[in-house]
Amino acid sequence: MNPTQEIEALKRRIEREIHARKEAEKILEEKSSALYQANVQLKELNENLEEKIQQRTLELEESERKFRSIINEAPDIIYKFNTEGIIQFANPVLLKKLDLNEEDVVGASLLDFIPEDWQEVTWAFYQQMISLNESETYFEFPLVGKKGNWIWVGQNAMLIHRDGKVDRISGVARDITEKKEAEKTIKTTQLRFTTLISNMQSGILVEDENRNIVLTNQKFCDFFNIPISPSWLTGRSCADSAEQSKHLFKNPEEFVSRIDQILQLKELVNKEELEMVDGKILLRDYVPIFADGTYLGHLWQYQDVTFERQAQSMIAASEEKYRGIIENMELGLMEVRNDETIIRAYKRFCEMTGYTEEELIGKNALEVFLPDEYLETIKKQSNERQQGVAGVYEMQIKHKSGDLIWVLISGAPIYDSTGKVIGSIGIHYNITEQKKLQIDLENARKEAEAAKEAEKQFLANMSHEIRTPLNAIIGMSHLLADTNPTQEQESYLDILKNSGDLLQTLISDILDFSKIQSGKLELNKRPLDLEKMLQNLIKTFNLKKGKKEIEVVLNWEDRPCCFLEGDELILNQIFMNLLGNAEKFTEKGSFGIQVEKLKEEDDFVSYEFGVFDTGLGIPENKYEDIFTNFRQVNADTKRKYGGTGLGLPIVKHLLELLNSKIEVKSKVGEGTEFIFQLTFPKTKTAIVPEKVSDGISNVYSLSDVHLLVVEDNPMNQTYISTLLKKWYASFDMASNGVEGFELAKSRKYDLILMDMQMPEMDGYETTSAIREKDNLNTNTPIIALTASAFVTQKELAFESGMNDFLSKPFKPDQLLSKIQKWLNLGSQDRNSNLPAEKLFHKNLDLNLLNELYEGDSEYALTMFEIFLNDQVKDFEQFRPLAEQQKLEDLSKLAHRLKSSASMVGMSELHSILEKLESEIRNNASKQSIDLTIQSALNNLQENLPHLQTTIENLKQMP
Amino acid sequence: MKGMVFTSLLEMIENEYGYEMVDKIITESGVSSNGVYTSVGTYDFKEMQQLLISFGKNTRQDIDEILHKFGRYFFQVMTSNYAAFFQGHQSALTFLASIDSVIHVEVYKLYPEAQLPKFEIIEHTPERLEMNYSSGRKMASFAFGLIEKTVEFYKEECSIKMKNLTEEGDVVNFIIKKIV
Repeated sequence: MNPTQEIEALKRRIEREIHARKEAEKILEEKSSALYQANVQLKELNENLEEKIQQRTLELEESERKFRSIINEAPDIIYKFNTEGIIQFANPVLLKKLDLNEEDVVGASLLDFIPEDWQEVTWAFYQQMISLNESETYFEFPLVGKKGNWIWVGQNAMLIHRDGKVDRISGVARDITEKKEAEKTIKTTQLRFTTLISNMQSGILVEDENRNIVLTNQKFCDFFNIPISPSWLTGRSCADSAEQSKHLFKNPEEFVSRIDQILQLKELVNKEELEMVDGKILLRDYVPIFADGTYLGHLWQYQDVTFERQAQSMIAASEEKYRGIIENMELGLMEVRNDETIIRAYKRFCEMTGYTEEELIGKNALEVFLPDEYLETIKKQSNERQQGVAGVYEMQIKHKSGDLIWVLISGAPIYDSTGKVIGSIGIHYNITEQKKLQIDLENARKEAEAAKEAEKQFLANMSHEIRTPLNAIIGMSHLLADTNPTQEQESYLDILKNSGDLLQTLISDILDFSKIQSGKLELNKRPLDLEKMLQNLIKTFNLKKGKKEIEVVLNWEDRPCCFLEGDELILNQIFMNLLGNAEKFTEKGSFGIQVEKLKEEDDFVSYEFGVFDTGLGIPENKYEDIFTNFRQVNADTKRKYGGTGLGLPIVKHLLELLNSKIEVKSKVGEGTEFIFQLTFPKTKTAIVPEKVSDGISNVYSLSDVHLLVVEDNPMNQTYISTLLKKWYASFDMASNGVEGFELAKSRKYDLILMDMQMPEMDGYETTSAIREKDNLNTNTPIIALTASAFVTQKELAFESGMNDFLSKPFKPDQLLSKIQKWLNLGSQDRNSNLPAEKLFHKNLDLNLLNELYEGDSEYALTMFEIFLNDQVKDFEQFRPLAEQQKLEDLSKLAHRLKSSASMVGMSELHSILEKLESEIRNNASKQSIDLTIQSALNNLQENLPHLQTTIENLKQMP
Repeated sequence: MKGMVFTSLLEMIENEYGYEMVDKIITESGVSSNGVYTSVGTYDFKEMQQLLISFGKNTRQDIDEILHKFGRYFFQVMTSNYAAFFQGHQSALTFLASIDSVIHVEVYKLYPEAQLPKFEIIEHTPERLEMNYSSGRKMASFAFGLIEKTVEFYKEECSIKMKNLTEEGDVVNFIIKKIV
């Protein structure tokens, strides 16, 4: 900036500042002049005051004039009347409202325009106003026109004085007809409202904003013990009422403080519960009343809900009680929704499963508890719940620890109020311990059965080992008898035969004893020649005593006159054992049987039997012991006389089987007598004498038949071949199963006799092999020669495909009759060929059954009974075996039951089991194996009734 | 707008840049009063804007920057002329909180035509003051300067936070917090 510019700028600055100063001076001058003016005006005001008053008076007169015109134009009714009531002025509004002319009104009495019933009170009002000299009053009354039209007016009256006296009354009134109408309506409404409240079952108290009672009702007075009528309370103050009533409440101070608080807040209070000292329960509502934001008071409502509460708490208590009971019963309860979401888990259930309720709620029950293998079970149960069906089932669930626990679950649907199933409740009972016990028991049972089976097997084997050589001995003695022996030789042969028979019986004894022990012995009643039986026994023991100088006697004076029925085998055994015992302990004198008839009726006879001896005798204190298994009188006895100690126990058991009891009478050194009583039914059937073996050789010829004999025992080979030769039968002899099978492959036989127990390949295996396809002898009858008396052995024989069996030892005629039966020769009673339809249920494979049985109903019956009694139960093994993955056992079981199924005509079951076998062979999935098992079981269930029907039918056949 | 604001602004500019700058601004801005201002007069706010813009241009300063500086300067004018206002208060926060309800009320008595900003108290505790400044004149930075100086005046230490609540800057939030 150069100096010139600087000077210019400074010039401008000075100029600006001068201007600013002048401006400021101007502003200040203006302000002071304003102050001066104000001062001057004040002075003037003071001086002109008097003049102003005069001016104002004038102005007043002017305004009065204005008012007058206003009166005339006013919307209000304006009128004046003198102290006599004569109207002096009425404005147009009044005239218009009452539809009158000025002439009608001015000069007339005001009372003319007031209805009669209002005249007195209205006039009294004005008189009072005048006498009390009230300058201004308000009064409401109706006015009526000449035409009867009327209005309500609200009137301000004013006294107008002249010369110190009341001269006139001026009234300014407003038409309040509408207001009056409205008031009337309000009154009606209020009346209704009051009536309603008075009769309400709730206690009602309405207070105004100053806590004065506007309205209350009887119920309220009742609740608060107020002895006066509710209408008396109106207008009274409630300020202290809480304090006065607090003693009625259980928490009096709280009651008071809460009321104070409510009153301060002035907010709606809903259903607050109050407990009273007398046990009542009240619900309190508080409703503040506001109009356009202004608080006008409030309403209290008290309801007595004691009864409801009591009912509620009773229900709750009862619910709690039952829940407590259930919880204490160790029953775990869990509630789930339809989608298996857990809604509630009770304490016991939580304890049972190891979870807390919080951990469970909202979770999916299946995800938490369900092991995969029970998915199907649960699906089925859920479906049932959906359909409203309750159910009980057992399953395993997962404990929190991961262990599985067994529970018995009782499930029931839960319904909503519309009856829809919304979920289910499961009651769980922990049966893990029981299950464990059950499994242990099951295992124990299996072990016991296995042991029993082993014992049975042992006995069967043993009896076979003894019977096979015995068979040869007996057989040979029969053959020897055919060689024209001398008389002496013949008597020896008799003894030989008798001893053989005796031995055979003894073996049977042992078997019988084991049967008795296992409860398997059955009574088999047949026509019986009691006398002959006893005579034979005596004869046998006479032969047996040898050189002992003792007598064997039968003392029976009153021999029977009729035929009896009884189990000869068992009776024989009883006497045999007792006589054997007597014989053993008697050195001199005699022993034998004493029979005495006790009673005879039309249909039965009772005898008392005594088996006596003159032997050692038994000390009385040993009577009990001798009937105990394997016990004898003393060790000395055993050493001296031998024996097993089973003889008398068998007798005792057998007699028990015949409903009898044995008694002992004995004197040491003199002898013993065993006494028992038996009752026999009488029968009309005569006993057919058994055919003697004599003459067989000449009666039948088997020259046309060709047989195969499979037998490993050389003695038996000789026995059978001698017989067959005698009957002119041609035959091949195989010494074991392998040989037999080879022969059977090479040519067709008419009949095969098959020993059961052979080395290398036993009878069952050989038979199964022969029964395979493509063997020439697939359909050739095979007769089992079995030394085992056990039914199971026979069953096995049938299962492996054999047609019949013959127990060793057998007599020649027994063998012959079997051969004849199967070759349909001679006069044997082979069943006439009945068509299959007549014998079997139509749903079974009739073709197959016809082929198998060719109308032989007896044989069929045996097979069907075996299947039903012994094999159906084996089907139960399928599932456990499958579960335990015991595939080899499973396959064997399927194989075995497959052929059994064919035997009773269940071809479909046969195919299913065949399929099962092939699935196992081909390592099919567990699932498909399970399915096949299921269909097998289903098929079995379907056909069981048909088998039953068939059995009933077969029993009817001749 | 009160003349005192104009005279104070020009005074501040002159102190810092000399009268040449004052002259230049007045000349360039073409204010209709031609720069004639007296503290007792009242002038159009538009002239203040013109002066500020011109000053900003000439000194390459942001308007808010100028206003902030001017606020701090103006505070001294206030303390020398109106010391009475400050005597009644023990702390900056109570003084600031009283602006709207006490000081501005007094100002209106003196100058009924005055247009003053509003300070709405949002929260006032002994340690913290939050208020919203609102004025069509958008001179929050001026206020900020004033507040700063107020705190200094009372020899206190405070953090002062300023936040625009609208885009135009006509409503601004102030939070003044004592640093203990």
